[in-house]
Amino acid sequence: MTRGDEDLVASARQGDRRAFEELVDRHERRAYHIAFDFTRNREDAKDLSQEAFLKAFTNLKNFDGRSSFYTWFYRIIVNLCLDYKRRQKRAPADTFDERVENQVEPSHEPEKTRSPDQDVMARQISRAIGAALETLPARQRTAFVLKNHQGLSIKEIAELMETAEGTVKVHLHRAVTALRERLAEFA
Amino acid sequence: MTEQINTLINACGEMEENLVLFHYGDLRGDERNEVQAHLKNCATCTAYLKHLNTLLPLTRQVDEPPPEFWTHYNRELREKLDSVAEKKSWRQSFVDFFQPRWVPVLAMAAVFTLALTFTFGKGMWSNNDPAKEDVAIMELMPVAENLDFFASMDVLDDLDLLESMGSQGNAA
Repeated sequence: MTRGDEDLVASARQGDRRAFEELVDRHERRAYHIAFDFTRNREDAKDLSQEAFLKAFTNLKNFDGRSSFYTWFYRIIVNLCLDYKRRQKRAPADTFDERVENQVEPSHEPEKTRSPDQDVMARQISRAIGAALETLPARQRTAFVLKNHQGLSIKEIAELMETAEGTVKVHLHRAVTALRERLAEFA
Repeated sequence: MTEQINTLINACGEMEENLVLFHYGDLRGDERNEVQAHLKNCATCTAYLKHLNTLLPLTRQVDEPPPEFWTHYNRELREKLDSVAEKKSWRQSFVDFFQPRWVPVLAMAAVFTLALTFTFGKGMWSNNDPAKEDVAIMELMPVAENLDFFASMDVLDDLDLLESMGSQGNAA
């Protein structure tokens, strides 16, 4: 029988290392993908998602169980990603080229219904979307990535962002509007 | 680009936010029914929704690293966890030592030690204290100086005795 996250957290808090490793196995891919959605860089996404696990491991005693482990943990990742973006903005301009070189071209979500034309469009949009997402304010980008890429519900996003559901809806709407304008050529 | 933005289809103002939520399947009940009813009669909002349905899935980009990436990822993460766990155990044992439950114990020990020191250590150091000796001598000095006075007082006592004996003899 599969143990729930809360059960594993309780064991991990008692010092059961295996329980924590099971939590890692369970969440590592999603953690990586969230980090990748923010960084669009494989190496940075790996470092950030690993850092999130280390932070969770260190602070597990502070997890009060008021939210689910998953919400608590993804909040850690999102905060780390936002810090990363802030640091990146402060980084000297000459390192930008290096960052671009390290970026991998992500594949678009495989969809059986996608036509060859759409595939071509997808490749073109791949670069444009990165640039368009970069221009979004942090809160809009967070709401958009968590909804559009990760498929979280508005309620989950609100919990994660520690804000009201109405605020998330506003951020999401503004992000979509901004992206529509910036990606108009692909419409 | 400006022309392209101008050609963007805009939904009815009050519907736009709900159309985004409708696209993501986040509308329930009355709100959902309201949007569906509106879409039946509004070509602009229908076109807007169609645009979202085309554009937004394209923005979903998934990176699927090769299996060796995950092998390396897991090995590296476990090494980092080992390192953190080691640091944590050192820090924990240090913090445990100063846990609140130890504070009363340490306080009690300190009080007990002080009590023992005052009880059994009192006689050990008093004899060796020259200042105390000086005080004792100073207290005795006036007594020594007045020894003659006390001696004369004894003589006076004797005179009183003789006088009283003399008066008894006269009476007899």
